[in-house]
Amino acid sequence: MKALVVDDSAVMRKVLIGALSRASITDVDQAADGQEAVSAVDNAEYDLVLMDWNMPNMLGIDAVKAIRAKGKKMPIIMVTTEAEKSRVIDALKAGANNYVIKPFEPNTIVTKIQEVLAKASD
Amino acid sequence: MAMKVEYINPFIESTYDLFSTMLGSQAVRGDVGVAKPTANPRDIMALIGLSGMARGMVALAFPVDTALKMVNRLLGTEIAIVDDTISDAIAEMVNIVAGGAKAKLSQQDRPPIDLSLPTVVRGSNFNVDYPSGTVWLEVPFNSDLGSFSLRVTFEMLEGKKA
Repeated sequence: MKALVVDDSAVMRKVLIGALSRASITDVDQAADGQEAVSAVDNAEYDLVLMDWNMPNMLGIDAVKAIRAKGKKMPIIMVTTEAEKSRVIDALKAGANNYVIKPFEPNTIVTKIQEVLAKASD
Repeated sequence: MAMKVEYINPFIESTYDLFSTMLGSQAVRGDVGVAKPTANPRDIMALIGLSGMARGMVALAFPVDTALKMVNRLLGTEIAIVDDTISDAIAEMVNIVAGGAKAKLSQQDRPPIDLSLPTVVRGSNFNVDYPSGTVWLEVPFNSDLGSFSLRVTFEMLEGKKA
């Protein structure tokens, strides 16, 4: 099981890597913006992507669209401060599978990761 | 820039949410006041801009000790000096506070408020000079991680297309 964590905050990437570890996922790559994320999925196969929204160079939602345009079907969870309903709808339309709003309790993100992976393996 | 005092409430609520959910801490606010332009802005300040149907800035300002304790709580580390990790964490915190508040302020029939990327200023010998005509409200907070303050200047562009 391999995951990609995409966030321009190195601290938030560490928090998310910790959550992935609690979900028994320790093989994790990191990207600091949407462009890096799109490049990463070209070079490796991921079972899960955690994607921020507001990042330099390329927004997370545009990275989701670009990843889906490549035919990649791995689950993508948006993890973002963008909490408006319209943003959630936009993200789901773009191809995100689930949505976590910052700030989150540590257990919330772990549970969401487990739910998304269980659904993907059905 | 005129600012209605009630507009600061979503930012206060977002600050509470940040501390309770991610830091396991209960922040307690003091009285809202007008920030003095030349007041010591504390050691580390993170600022983020709002644009779209609202226009303004949000800042979180921390003494070094509070900043270190917050980041160490968040990451389970024992960092003792202010480094890029601390600045990164403070930037993310102002992003989260502004993000939560803008969701509360956004109106369903209007485009969401947009956030800029955050900026962090470090050092104890800087002044923050605000453009003339702007009013910054300041809310002091205390917590088991130490004191800090929230500063907001903000206006809704009522009836205007964003």
